[in-house]
Amino acid sequence: MRVLFGLAILTLTACGASPPREQTPAGPGPVMGGAGAPVVEGSRAQEHEPLTLATARPATAPRYTQREPSSGGAVRSLMQAAERQSSSGDSTAAAATLERALRIEPRNPLLLSQLARVRFDQGQYQRAVNFAAKSNSVAGANQGLRRGNWNLIAKARRAQGDEYGAREAELRANAAY
Amino acid sequence: MRLLAILFLFALILAGYLHHLDGVVRVKFEGKRWAVPAHVYARPLELFPGALATREQMLHELNQLGYRLETEAATPGSYGQRGAAGLRVHSRSFEFWDGKEPSRQVDIDFDKIQVSAMRSPAGEEVSLLRLEPYLIASIHPAQSEDRVLLRYQDLPRSLIGALIVAEDREFFEHHGVSLKGISRAMWANVKARRLVQGGSTLTQQLVKNFYLTQERKLVRKINEALMALVLEYHYGKEEIMEAYANEIFLGQDGQRAIHGFGLASRYYFNRPLQELDVAGQALLVALIRGPSFYNPVRRPERAMKRRNLILDLMAEYGVITAPAAAQAKAAPLGLSIAKKAGGTSYPAFMDLVRRQLSRDYHLEDLNSEGLRIHTTLDPWVQEQAEAALVDRLAAFEAQRPKLKDRLDGALVVVGRDDGEVQSVVGGRNTGFAGFNRALDAIRPIGSLVKPAVYLTALEMPERYNLVTPLKDEPVSLSTPGAPTWSPKNYDGKVHGSIPLFDALAQSYNLATVRLGLDLGVGPVANTLRELGVVRTIDPYPSLFLGTLSLSPLEVAQVYQTLAAGGYWTPLRTIREVLDQEGRPLQRYPLEVRQVVPGGPVHLLSTAMQRVVRSGTAASLSRWLPANLGIAGKTGTTDEMRDSWFAGFTGDRVAVAWVGRDDNEPTGLTGATGALQVWGAALSRISLAPLELIPPESVVFVQVDPKTGLQPGQGCAAMNLMEAPFMRGYEPLPQDCAISVPERKNPFWELF
Repeated sequence: MRVLFGLAILTLTACGASPPREQTPAGPGPVMGGAGAPVVEGSRAQEHEPLTLATARPATAPRYTQREPSSGGAVRSLMQAAERQSSSGDSTAAAATLERALRIEPRNPLLLSQLARVRFDQGQYQRAVNFAAKSNSVAGANQGLRRGNWNLIAKARRAQGDEYGAREAELRANAAY
Repeated sequence: MRLLAILFLFALILAGYLHHLDGVVRVKFEGKRWAVPAHVYARPLELFPGALATREQMLHELNQLGYRLETEAATPGSYGQRGAAGLRVHSRSFEFWDGKEPSRQVDIDFDKIQVSAMRSPAGEEVSLLRLEPYLIASIHPAQSEDRVLLRYQDLPRSLIGALIVAEDREFFEHHGVSLKGISRAMWANVKARRLVQGGSTLTQQLVKNFYLTQERKLVRKINEALMALVLEYHYGKEEIMEAYANEIFLGQDGQRAIHGFGLASRYYFNRPLQELDVAGQALLVALIRGPSFYNPVRRPERAMKRRNLILDLMAEYGVITAPAAAQAKAAPLGLSIAKKAGGTSYPAFMDLVRRQLSRDYHLEDLNSEGLRIHTTLDPWVQEQAEAALVDRLAAFEAQRPKLKDRLDGALVVVGRDDGEVQSVVGGRNTGFAGFNRALDAIRPIGSLVKPAVYLTALEMPERYNLVTPLKDEPVSLSTPGAPTWSPKNYDGKVHGSIPLFDALAQSYNLATVRLGLDLGVGPVANTLRELGVVRTIDPYPSLFLGTLSLSPLEVAQVYQTLAAGGYWTPLRTIREVLDQEGRPLQRYPLEVRQVVPGGPVHLLSTAMQRVVRSGTAASLSRWLPANLGIAGKTGTTDEMRDSWFAGFTGDRVAVAWVGRDDNEPTGLTGATGALQVWGAALSRISLAPLELIPPESVVFVQVDPKTGLQPGQGCAAMNLMEAPFMRGYEPLPQDCAISVPERKNPFWELF
């Protein structure tokens, strides 16, 4: 029985407990099928090559790759617009602008984190916690961002009267290095 | 003296009556003048370098928006070709929630799958361009008036000129009633010995449309004249002209009456009035005398003749030059009437919009307040999904002639992370607002339930991981008062001990039921509720094999939560609602809530990728390349009554169902039915690959898939797989016993 976790391994595996490191994107690019035409099967040979102890173990360079949150020009301009709207006190508009940006890059942790801050400024603490947590879930190796998100979660929980939860979040923030 | 008294009394009555009319006129004119139906828009297309939009899709969008092909794209609402891969677009301005998007001229380059560059004609880079969304529906009662309101300053000068010369040449001079006009009309009628001209001023016509019934009586005529005088006394010419331009009846579209030049321009030409050329304006003015008699669709010659007459008048009175009139007269009618302009081209999606709106709005407000509703519909995705469903169902029936015209299906596509509903296909008769299977076909979900069973297990890392051996062996359950339940595998076989991930990938029933019984029905039902199921879940072990009935949309909610890493987001069709003047009324903001921990969902997702890679959904490779890393699950119910597939890519979650309205068997499994629809639909649209980001709680370990153990020192080379585990629960290296074979010592053998 040659069992392999095909794609899951080849593109996403991390090495043991070491934190994932950033690398240039190596994953497959976006795909556009033909007009409903079946496609030819991909190269199966490579995927089914068995991993053995000998070939698999010495993974000095992590095979794990992950797209660093790199915001495109469109998202950058929207983030700046949201920043301006926030600082001029129009947090409703800032939230709408950030949601517009999230439609372009739905898993951009920076956007999610910024939206969490806007919700916090609006006094919407639970939403702030939710977006900061979601930002963490897609933050990959960006420890600085994680720290910021955990600190925001701590502040939001404290504002909600959850002192225990706030302390816990602060511990997580301090651990994110 | 008596005569004086009678005269005085008469004057009093007249004054009283005029006062009454005055009230009527003012209330109507200053209060809410028109009941304007809510207008519903699709999502606006956002263009930026890297946007997954092809040139073909772009041309489709521009065509739907009524953009004209012009070499240099000099005016808003036009575009030009730039070589084989580029376009120059001159966008229209549009009032969005967050402000006005200005009209802009942008050169756009495309490569095979996306926008590759955007620049202004001067060469500056453009980072983002938002086109105006297109109108997909008006929400109005069965018999109703529809209109797009205009202000006086929006009316083209030449249109006002055409109105004046054709209908009321003294409009800017008279006080509501024109004696000159009446005498001219009478003279013309006497000359022709029949009624060829009416003497009504625009003001009188407005009054007639506005306040009175259509009956032809002298009393009504007098009333009309009096009210016209009152109207002119109170209001300026521009206000009256504006009201006229919005009120005038210009056509009938099924149950919907087309009122005003704004909507008429949209209806007949699919273009805003401001972009209409002189010929088009003249045609709209031509229709005033009889929208049915001069119907440009059914009576093109008649309409053309009257249009040209108006163009001649415009030239005669100097509204336009003679050469311009000649040029306009040579132009064709140039109609562009939307296929299903009356209701909507997307009845299944609109059905969902209405249901979501009805939570927050009264029907009367939707019918009359002129609300602008911005939705999440992606018309491109919608049309591709419709085409794919129709095409695949026909293909299934071609292979199984007995099923001819019996199969139907549904398909829902939503955004993976934002839960925005991009398309809803409610059946193969896509233009028909009938039974909406996407929302109302509540069917057993079969094996689509299994991810919830396995997720429940993976949430207990001390007991289960992806390589935990499960027993795929016969199981019988007897409950008092019910027949013994002995589920079978789909292939009828028993597979012995298999790793957990493989039991899911191959959708083995026996292993799943045994696992479920270990977990208990309660925890699995709980997981389902956390993932977004709101229906009552019957607590029987048959739940593990999917006796739970859900609609395709409800399944999409469950799979969206899984796809988003355990973050539930309510599926939405409405982004925001604006009032008639474009002022923000209500937003439906993005919500996320973590309902299941990310680690177990990550583990489950890798197993669901395996379903597609080499499990029951492997035939998806007919449609989509393996490197998309799609995760999903097939489902088939008893006797193949329901065929399901639910899955997700890096950007979309989609659920397909195929079955029969009479609930009879289809002969299709999840893989041979719904999966093919799913694949056909998604192969037509752009997709981002699914790249799962492991949460911090996950580590990767090389293990022997047969035992689920990590080999350590002294182990022989073996086939290993790398699998994700919950941190702290990963298998530790197990040293293999170094067994040195007993060797006969050659030395001693000598002796």
